[in-house]
Amino acid sequence: MNDSVLKIENLTKTYKLGKRDVQPLTNLNLEVKKGEFTAIMGPSGSGKTTLLNIIGCIDKATSGSVLIDNVDIAHLPESQLYKIRRDKIGFIFQNFNLLPYLNARENVELAMELAGKFKGQRKQRAKDLLNTVGLSGREQHRPQRLSQGEQQRVAIARALANDPAIILADEPTGNLDVNNKQEIVKLLLDLNQKQGTTIIMVTHDEQVAAQTQRMLTLNNGKILKDKQTQKSTLSGNQSKAEETQEE
Amino acid sequence: MMGILSRATRNISRRKTRSLLVIVVLSFALAMLISLPPSITQSQATTQKTIDALTANAQAVNATMSIVATQIECHLPAISVPNPDSKAETIQVQPLMNNTDYSNITSIPHVRGVIPILDQAANDSNLDYNIYGIPLDDASLIDMYSLLLPSNITEGRNLQVGDSGVVVLQQRVADNFGVQVGDTVKILNQTFQVVGIDGYSPLNKTAAYMNLNQAQTITDNAGNVTNFKVFVDDVHNVDEVATKISIMYPKLTVSIAASLVYSIIQMQTQTNVQLELAQATMSEIQSTGTLEIAVVTAVDAAIVLFIMLYTVRERTREIGTLKALGASSAAILGQFMLEGVLLSLIAGIGGIAIGTIGATSFANLLLPAPTQAGNSTVTQTGVSIGAASSASISVAITPELVLLGLGVAVLLGALGSLYPAWRAARTRPAEAMRYE
Ligand SMILES: Nc1ncnc2c1ncn2[C@@H]1O[C@H](COP(=O)(O)OP(=O)(O)OP(=O)(O)O)[C@@H](O)[C@H]1O
Ligand SMILES: [Mg+2]
Repeated sequence: MNDSVLKIENLTKTYKLGKRDVQPLTNLNLEVKKGEFTAIMGPSGSGKTTLLNIIGCIDKATSGSVLIDNVDIAHLPESQLYKIRRDKIGFIFQNFNLLPYLNARENVELAMELAGKFKGQRKQRAKDLLNTVGLSGREQHRPQRLSQGEQQRVAIARALANDPAIILADEPTGNLDVNNKQEIVKLLLDLNQKQGTTIIMVTHDEQVAAQTQRMLTLNNGKILKDKQTQKSTLSGNQSKAEETQEE
Repeated sequence: MMGILSRATRNISRRKTRSLLVIVVLSFALAMLISLPPSITQSQATTQKTIDALTANAQAVNATMSIVATQIECHLPAISVPNPDSKAETIQVQPLMNNTDYSNITSIPHVRGVIPILDQAANDSNLDYNIYGIPLDDASLIDMYSLLLPSNITEGRNLQVGDSGVVVLQQRVADNFGVQVGDTVKILNQTFQVVGIDGYSPLNKTAAYMNLNQAQTITDNAGNVTNFKVFVDDVHNVDEVATKISIMYPKLTVSIAASLVYSIIQMQTQTNVQLELAQATMSEIQSTGTLEIAVVTAVDAAIVLFIMLYTVRERTREIGTLKALGASSAAILGQFMLEGVLLSLIAGIGGIAIGTIGATSFANLLLPAPTQAGNSTVTQTGVSIGAASSASISVAITPELVLLGLGVAVLLGALGSLYPAWRAARTRPAEAMRYE
């Protein structure tokens, strides 16, 4: 399929811990289409973060292949990987990870500065993005003067800055209260529906996951369930719920 | 890029107290670093001046005193003879000796020359004066003459090599004969031309000075002299040569200017001690200064190293985030190096400020005091050497030192932050993100 933005085949990740090996991912296969909003669930320690880190090129696969826009990042050297992270990936973290000494706009600009965009261009786009996430007027605020929900919005704006192929969100609502949680989910849904942003989101929250198009459940290093939800609005051919079982 | 610089400054100003503390400490280190080179130069220059003064002094003393001190007087013991004018009394007469009988003296080691002298009373007038003959034929002995020639020429000139038929008269003798420079005078029936007058002075001999040959001729003493002056090459050998002469010619009375010899030797010893002291100070300044520069440089770089290592550790998550956002390893290396360099550069400016005020204090605090020469005096009878003392120096910060300070600050900042920045650059982002 040409509209596949991510294709993972036989992905295995092994951490060597002395004599004992930990293998959070074992022969995992996954394909994500452009514009899909996928939620990944699973018990703690099931390898969700590990999977996201490998897709996001901040961790290395032990074996298998990971194709992002048809480039196998599993076999790229660090000298190429940082460009994939910069241009293809947008990270959203549970604890936001904004730089405390930069204000909201500068945090968003930072991603573009790394991509070599010019000051004028960056500044305007940062303003636009902050506007999109509902933070116009807050550009000059440093993270400590923003609420948690607002900080996560800045992080989302930053993730969008270089117009990435995939947004990777690791428990983006994990640190937020109920109201903020729903706000952020709504924002992500909006982005996905209005702008066709591809999002892969790890969450422990059934309610949050239920609002996406596709729910993956990880267990023992493999995808246990792959479920298309009712919410699916994008590709009309898959309107009914569907469950797959992987071995 | 502006962004990286502004991030570096913000990170430094974010931890105000810590940065300030580090900058103050680094400033002092850098102030010492820029104060030390000119301090070393100046201390050594002061000490070198002392060495030069001591050397010059020793040379001057040698030049004026050594010829006096290196002469040995040899003559036969005076004998008593009845006074021809008054039978009851006796007078002391200097017995004559044959020049050639003592020619072996010249072959004694360290002997530079032997000057025979005839010093005889003349009885051709009612004035008691002496005929004083010095050999004027040998040019190689010229530097030794000066001591034997009349010392206070007030008119005309002194005797010189090759003179013959001329005479220098002591003022009293000239007055007695009623002659002056240019006149001729008859001494013991021989006519001489007067070329110079030796003025009045209580110590001066009442004598007529002339070529030894002519003195011998007119006094009927061909081949005879009254005494020798033996010149030795060095004051240290005077005793030895004198002893050898005594052994060689036991009948001779041999005398040296013992106190002068002793005082010159003492002066030389003292000068040497002071020179050694100054030289030791010189190399001590060099080694202490070099060591201090090395230590301060190392400490400075180490401070940057530790503070940047701490910073990198503290900001592990931030580094992970930067990497996750797509920062290259080079960009992160650059970011942290720049921070270290900037910190050090600010300290460099502080160091220049502190150095401008305190360079002199640093110099006197950090280096051994340079040696200053004491005042030495040379007199006719001896030499006194002033005690050497310690000098203090003053140092000023020049524009070159300002540039040096900034350059060193940048260099040490880069050096100190190289390893921490390298650690930051090779941080594995996945692990950094899990780091709390
Ligand atoms: N750097 C590492 N070295 C060794 N083991 C690791 C490392 N990172 C993760 N693991 C292990 O891999 C397994 C999967 O971890 P991972 O963080 O992917 O789980 P998770 O599904 O994200 O869990 P959670 O829901 O608690 O976030 C765990 O057992 C973890 O201890
Ligand atoms: Mg996780």
